[in-house]
Amino acid sequence: MVTKEDIIKLAKLGKLYLTEEELDSAVKDMTNIIGFANEISKVDTGDTEFDNINGLENALREDIVEESFDEDLILKNVDGGKDGFFYIKKYQN
Amino acid sequence: MSGTNGKIRHIHDLLVNKKITCKELTEKYIDKIKESKLNAYVHTCEDLAIKTAEKVDEKISSGKEISMLEGIPMNLKDNISTDGIETTCCSKMLQGYKPIYDATVWKKLKGDNAVLLGKANMDEFAMGSSCENSCFGGACNPHNLKHVAGGSSGGVASAVGGNIAVYGLGSDTGGSIRQPASFCGLVGLKPTYGSVSRYGLIAFGSSLDQIGPIASNVEDVAIVYDSISGYDTKDSTSSKVAPNDTFNHLNDDIKGMKIGIPKEYFDGINEDVKNAIDEAIDAYKSMGAEIEYFDLPELKYTLPVYYIIACAEASSNLGRYDGIRYGYKTKQYKDIEEMICKTRSEGFGEEVKRRILLGTYVLSSGYYDAYYKKAQNLRGTIIKAFKRAYEKFDVILAPTVPTTAFEFNFTSMDPVQTYLTDICTVPVNIAGLPAVSLPCGFDSKDLPIGMQLIGNSFSEDKILNLAYKYEQYTEAKYLKELDMGVRL
Repeated sequence: MVTKEDIIKLAKLGKLYLTEEELDSAVKDMTNIIGFANEISKVDTGDTEFDNINGLENALREDIVEESFDEDLILKNVDGGKDGFFYIKKYQN
Repeated sequence: MSGTNGKIRHIHDLLVNKKITCKELTEKYIDKIKESKLNAYVHTCEDLAIKTAEKVDEKISSGKEISMLEGIPMNLKDNISTDGIETTCCSKMLQGYKPIYDATVWKKLKGDNAVLLGKANMDEFAMGSSCENSCFGGACNPHNLKHVAGGSSGGVASAVGGNIAVYGLGSDTGGSIRQPASFCGLVGLKPTYGSVSRYGLIAFGSSLDQIGPIASNVEDVAIVYDSISGYDTKDSTSSKVAPNDTFNHLNDDIKGMKIGIPKEYFDGINEDVKNAIDEAIDAYKSMGAEIEYFDLPELKYTLPVYYIIACAEASSNLGRYDGIRYGYKTKQYKDIEEMICKTRSEGFGEEVKRRILLGTYVLSSGYYDAYYKKAQNLRGTIIKAFKRAYEKFDVILAPTVPTTAFEFNFTSMDPVQTYLTDICTVPVNIAGLPAVSLPCGFDSKDLPIGMQLIGNSFSEDKILNLAYKYEQYTEAKYLKELDMGVRL
């Protein structure tokens, strides 16, 4: 059973605000979904663990400095930023 | 298009033999996209398409050779990054976002002068099975506009089925290429995890996501797969195993190939779907393949395992949308906490929020072991079960979806009911395997039915070979070209 308090806690962790209506439907949906997820909680998996898929692990490239993106380009999606920085409005506590 | 030759090859021949210029061809597609009621495209890129077409025409008229994909009009799902072209994942969160780099798959195709017509509709952040979770509204099924195209790569399938793209690239996290391909009577390939670069694919469930092609026939899928696969230094889960050349193995003899059929895939499937799959099994028998039914009891865990892992990864991947670096930002806020929370609450749709909550739940302290850890262990068990099956079989055959395309608003009421429709497709993503969905019949409402051939890792050549042979054997009778869009 998922409670309203659980959802409020999860929403806080997930950085979401939920309206009263959204909260109610989330309680209902999550109760159903968790019920469905519970199907696996009693299964004995012995000592089987998940390691990797298709033998892939940290397929990293050589650690060589390569050219990256221009600062101006990176800031393009936030209207150019300000003085080469991402910019958010000043606020006071 | 005649016989069972691919459409790409057919158009390539028309271009090379100067029956049509690439610009004329492209303009035909652009005109039909404008007329279309399918809602398959969410952004179009006319200027780029025409410019590329002119480049191809110049090459042809100066007597230069062109590759198979040059000048072929296509599209990309809206979660594949395109430099300077809006890429929104069909979310309010990314409206107006223009990536500053190309996804590797698009870089490869662009280098081949592929004509990009536009970005295709999808469920928001690829979360959904009907495309109805798109902030632009769902894409229609070209076989019947009252039915959904499927999801999440619904726009790609809708456009290809409606002849307003020759092929497209989608992404498949739990069936998002195969399910819409099945619903729209098309061929869709979910490649082996790691065989196609994910660089530039906006992340949903990183250990499950894979880019792959959707086209109207097996040959086209093989041509596109061969050109997009291969190791990429920019994707840290890219495989160094050399990709197999599928095109040159399409016609290999399949006599004596062993096809396994897990009984569990047939639990609760629609009667028309079952009959079509049975007919396909008979066709393979007639072609000399050996068929054997077997038990794969681990399959019953795959859906909860999938939703736990996918949502856990999604909740982490979607943490980056904070309104600071790109994407949507709320207008009014009093501090940074409020800015982030308001941005996310206003920017994300209902299903995305639901999955963030579920992912946060299964990763939170007190629940991690019972859900996430258990799901990961079971993932190991499921992978082992598949590996055991491949000691005995070359390929596994199963339905792609238990039903045909549903009507709009059919599944939106209960999320668990919607999740259950993914039962046949998710095991492949859990195990990182390749699978192709191909048409194998029509139901009583004349909607397409699909079957999938699931291979061992890195055996795209084998599954496409078997798919191609089936297409030839049935004289492509299930590849119904609809009377809409561009017909050549």
